Amino acid sequence: MPLSEHPASLSKSRLKSDLVAHGVTLPPAKSKKEVYVKLHLKHVDQKTSAGLSGDEEEENPEEAEMPDVTALTDDDLKATLHKYGFKAGPIVASTRAVHEKKLRRLLQSDRQVRFSGAEKEVLYSDRKEEEENGQDDDDDADSGMASNALDFFFFLPSSEPMKGTFKDIIPDTEAIQRRTYATCRKPIKGTAGRPVQRAYADTPASPTTIGRREVERRLVPIHIQILVFFIVACLFYLINVCVEDNSLSPLVALLDSLTQGVDSDERALIQSNTQDTPVLSRQV
Amino acid sequence: MSTTSQKHRDFVAEPMGDKSVTALSGIGETLGRKLEDQGFDKAYTVLGQFLLLRKDTELFVEWLKDATGANTRQATSCAQCMKEWCDAFL
Repeated sequence: MPLSEHPASLSKSRLKSDLVAHGVTLPPAKSKKEVYVKLHLKHVDQKTSAGLSGDEEEENPEEAEMPDVTALTDDDLKATLHKYGFKAGPIVASTRAVHEKKLRRLLQSDRQVRFSGAEKEVLYSDRKEEEENGQDDDDDADSGMASNALDFFFFLPSSEPMKGTFKDIIPDTEAIQRRTYATCRKPIKGTAGRPVQRAYADTPASPTTIGRREVERRLVPIHIQILVFFIVACLFYLINVCVEDNSLSPLVALLDSLTQGVDSDERALIQSNTQDTPVLSRQV
Repeated sequence: MSTTSQKHRDFVAEPMGDKSVTALSGIGETLGRKLEDQGFDKAYTVLGQFLLLRKDTELFVEWLKDATGANTRQATSCAQCMKEWCDAFL
């Protein structure tokens, strides 16, 4: 963002996007430009002049974004949801409340991500991963025990060692994870030093969640699945090789007979010395 | 979702036509009345809401819980019902 520009010289839409980028809730859509300029001066320019570059965004959203979800217009709500990677449907009277709730949850999780030190602005799925990793890090650091980490590995499928594989190989699991973590998203602050199962501790175990967990648990040993896949692949390859070995001799015989047939035709033209030797050797 | 109720199977088996909102699985008399109070008297109005939420089961469950005070099991059952009906007839 260019620092020299005065906000009054910026276009309204530019001001809007700047404000959104700095986590400031937008005023109602019909408000005048002065409102935007004022907000811009207050939130954006203040921070840049204070010389805070990265840290500012960690503090601002929780103060500015969180309480004002209800003040957004329908369009802004939709745009903000889109910004957080959620494709919202039409926001009308009957669906607005649900979307607000969703946005609040997204904001909350986003905040947690920033607190855990992840500054990535990449993808929705990445944020989720980061958030979980943040939790894992806490736990590992607190316990310092390898067994604990191992337990965690089985309870939370996307714990750190699995990160790369999960993202790369099965992008679909993101959907499952998203759903699960949406229900049990709680602040991670007070969880230091707690036992492992607190990740699900405060959600009532309804049949759905149990089902989801089961799906996740089944998805856990992905590297084992890969291993099995490779073993099976090797097996097939070996079988294939054996079959080829067996079928090699009839194949060779066929080829030989073919060449013989061709050769007998050409024998008149080409001298037959070269052909005789293999035939002879086979007979012997 | 290993087992589904008889109500669920009945609902998913045919077009919903003019069925009342209580024909939905997970929606009994109490929840049905609450929905009717809010104008959702027919199953197709609830379907409309489900479609407005882009068939997002999670959001639909949220909405149903907020709107009627349904518990997670009831709301999820209804959402599942809607989803399967859509898969079959939409």
